[in-house]
Amino acid sequence: MWRANKCMALVVAIALLVPMVGFAQLADLPRSETLIVSILTGRSVPADDFNEWVGWKWRDRGMQNLANEPLWSVDFATGEIINGLAAGDPVYDSNFFHLEIPLRQGVAWADGEPFTADDVVFTVETLMAHEGFNAHNFFLDNVELVYKIDDYTVGFDLKQANSRFHTTFLDRWGCTWIMPKHIFESVDDPVTFKFNPFVGCGAYKLHSYEPAGAWTVWERREDWDKSPTGILYGMPAPKYVVFQHFANEGAEIVSLLTHQVDAADLSSEGLKAALAQGKTIRAYQPGFPWVVNNDPAITGLTFNTAKAPYDSADVRWALLLAIDIVEYVAQAVGATGTLSPVHIPSLGSYPDNFIRPMEAWLEDFTLDLGNGETFKPYDTDRVDGVVDYATSAGYIVSGDIEAAFGLGWYKHAPDAATKLLEKSGFSKNADGEWLLPDGTKWTIEVLGRTDVNHLQSVNALAAVQQWKQFGIDAVYVGSDAFDTLTQNGDFDVSGTWPGYEPWGAGPDLYRTLDYYNSAYVQPVGTLTQGHHSRWTSDAMDTVLEDLRNTDPADAAATIALGIEGLKIAVTEMPGIPTFGYIGNVAWDEYYWTNWPGLENPYMQPYTHWGPMKYFLPSLEATGN
Amino acid sequence: MAFVKRYLIPRLISYILVIFLGITAVFFIPRFTPSDPVHRTIAQLMSRGTYLDPASMEAMVEDLQELYGLEGSLLQQYGAFWKRTFTGDFGVSFFQFPTPVSELIRTALPWTAGLLLWTTMLSWVFGNIVGALAGYFSRSRWSKALDTLAMVVRPLPYYIFAFALLILFAFVVRWFPIAGGTAIGRLPAFTWTYIWDVLWHAFLPALSLVVLGGAIWFQTMKLIVQNVNAEDFVQYAKLGGVREGRIVSRYIMRNAMLPQITGLALSLGQILSGALITEIVFSYPGVGTLLFNAITSGDYNLIMGITALSILGVTTAILVIDLLYPLFDPRVRFR
Repeated sequence: MWRANKCMALVVAIALLVPMVGFAQLADLPRSETLIVSILTGRSVPADDFNEWVGWKWRDRGMQNLANEPLWSVDFATGEIINGLAAGDPVYDSNFFHLEIPLRQGVAWADGEPFTADDVVFTVETLMAHEGFNAHNFFLDNVELVYKIDDYTVGFDLKQANSRFHTTFLDRWGCTWIMPKHIFESVDDPVTFKFNPFVGCGAYKLHSYEPAGAWTVWERREDWDKSPTGILYGMPAPKYVVFQHFANEGAEIVSLLTHQVDAADLSSEGLKAALAQGKTIRAYQPGFPWVVNNDPAITGLTFNTAKAPYDSADVRWALLLAIDIVEYVAQAVGATGTLSPVHIPSLGSYPDNFIRPMEAWLEDFTLDLGNGETFKPYDTDRVDGVVDYATSAGYIVSGDIEAAFGLGWYKHAPDAATKLLEKSGFSKNADGEWLLPDGTKWTIEVLGRTDVNHLQSVNALAAVQQWKQFGIDAVYVGSDAFDTLTQNGDFDVSGTWPGYEPWGAGPDLYRTLDYYNSAYVQPVGTLTQGHHSRWTSDAMDTVLEDLRNTDPADAAATIALGIEGLKIAVTEMPGIPTFGYIGNVAWDEYYWTNWPGLENPYMQPYTHWGPMKYFLPSLEATGN
Repeated sequence: MAFVKRYLIPRLISYILVIFLGITAVFFIPRFTPSDPVHRTIAQLMSRGTYLDPASMEAMVEDLQELYGLEGSLLQQYGAFWKRTFTGDFGVSFFQFPTPVSELIRTALPWTAGLLLWTTMLSWVFGNIVGALAGYFSRSRWSKALDTLAMVVRPLPYYIFAFALLILFAFVVRWFPIAGGTAIGRLPAFTWTYIWDVLWHAFLPALSLVVLGGAIWFQTMKLIVQNVNAEDFVQYAKLGGVREGRIVSRYIMRNAMLPQITGLALSLGQILSGALITEIVFSYPGVGTLLFNAITSGDYNLIMGITALSILGVTTAILVIDLLYPLFDPRVRFR
């Protein structure tokens, strides 16, 4: 008996001792001075390679979002472009064959070397000299000569007129970064060089990383005031920033609930679970719909316009009118999406610059249903429908409804859709199923990913549901080869974004509209360089030509041309824009507060985007 | 000599043939899928924020095909592949370009081997010993209790079981870490602190594997022992007054072990392909995640590197067992 009691006492003692001895999530870092965020893109393998100019190197482990500084950054929350290593806007000549970029003075690399125009010139020359760099061909195609005008001014002579050349240096979740010349100039092969330890111009330097790539730790530089972050915003609050990989969301949520991670990107359900259980956890929006709804990407559906019957605008519009967007957005994302009727998201400056000025046109926009009948599809009441749905589901909807749910969308009009299809020769059989003009059954394969939580998949799944209700034999096809199939045109309809992601700041839509450029379209079966819809039009080419000849700094002219382009896209509807990209950001306020939430959106809220580095000075330690 | 001619040589030939055919299949199968690694690389770079100028994309495709070694006919690529493979060079990873495949495997394999080698052995030893005893004493209460426990544990989906352990020990009582192979900021070093940290992080993944794996070995061994126990020669030994311990160890266990040894060899061979679900639940480093990512990104070279190792591991394990079998089973020697 005595021995049994002794054994039991030993077991209890070990059980109590284990957590005391072992439980230390951070080896030697003070938790109260450490910010821990999850890596969005996965385990950083190989962990010792920081050469971000070649292939993919998990830049969101703290390179692009912390220790690196671009010339300019997009902040989609304010719609502003932030000057980082650049001191101001680029200055083009009148025919866009030459530009000069002013650089910021007083900036030093993390190892103390000053940043100058030599670094920029060296970077461009090195990228041009070596195959294997991601941007090699771009600079080879565009740059005739790059040269230093003085220590803080760089000049470019271009091979062809390009009024948007500088945007290669504009960080919108990545850009062309500047290399430290003093490090790379002594390297034999800059393509295979691992650039370890990483040296950037940001306010942090590399502290350590796990060889298996699970975490990377960065430490605030003592000379943080020689970084653009420090110069613009002051000292970043956390002394250490950790980027940690979680292979499953359950572990990520448990880490949030136990204060072992401060910021994470979750799924919609994951965010709800974290909010329900964590007293100190908050989302981007304090109330429903909680989510980050100002991400500059528009989700939706893309038609393969190189394939009948999706080569017909009438068919594409009929399929749009067969969609009840309230049911669609409820099924897809629990009514948390911000609707957009055009091929850019309804966020930041875009509603005021583009969507509101288009509203009169949208309301007048008329479809020819045949037999002399016409139909005006635009409907601002659809937003109210989404709000009603959310309210009926028990959510409290308050605040700026238009900002949260959009300005309007299109009517659910199965009758008009039927007339458009009948106009194109479609018919229904006795069972109510739609038949193609040749009398065979119409089956639409809607392509998504095998990850059914991806917004491309949820759009595809919601479309299948809507079109089935309309009598079309629609089926969901989830494929790991999604990218290849869409690039090669081997699909009917896919969940690909209907418009290429815009900058998210500034008035220029060239980035989005240029993907409809007819010069980029390749035959089905080969990789298209433009939008996967393979849709083009002479009218859009004309808009693009005009945009190319317009200085992007000329806001009025750029906006006017952007609106023209959007009108053409709406008229032809090569893809159906539905709702803006949704981010399910969760922040734990146990250690850090003053996150850039909706009530105080001083900076974009993601920890994987570049401007994360710019909101760190505003974070406040709680003292826990 | 007869052993070499009739037993060893045929097995060596089939060993080489299986490796050749297996690796050949691994070369061709990914190439017949619709996923193109160059397209995937471009799409993934674009989806991860890299703006690729459409006008420069055609040249980039050509560059990548050249850099990835995807130029030339399939047969030419196949020839070049075998040339490289003989020197242990699987080329560079497409998606993690220009990192050599061997370097990626070298980073991940120690974690996988370190976790799976001893958990496989432990669950095998534990499951077989307890299973044998439970089979022999199958009418005892403890045997029935263990059998009931195994029947409850074994059908549990591994993911659910592992996640339940994670919730219980990392969230409810907080004795073990939630994720990773080491504490944040702890760098590899040959110190007790580091070794303790690695073991502490490996405990839950190991526990999940040992318990579920052990339950499987337990049940199979128990059934085999029960069958062997009913054989005439065992009954004869009992009637002949042979000691019970000798009956269990020499008469029953020795016969019952044969299929278990084969099973162990296969399990050890499969270690090289990793334990994907374990790695996902516990965010544990290893080859499983590497292989999964390689498949989803169309990274032919990495797929080939890992699966070639796995093929080599399984076939070698089978060959070794085949060669050792005559030692375990005199009937094979006799034949």
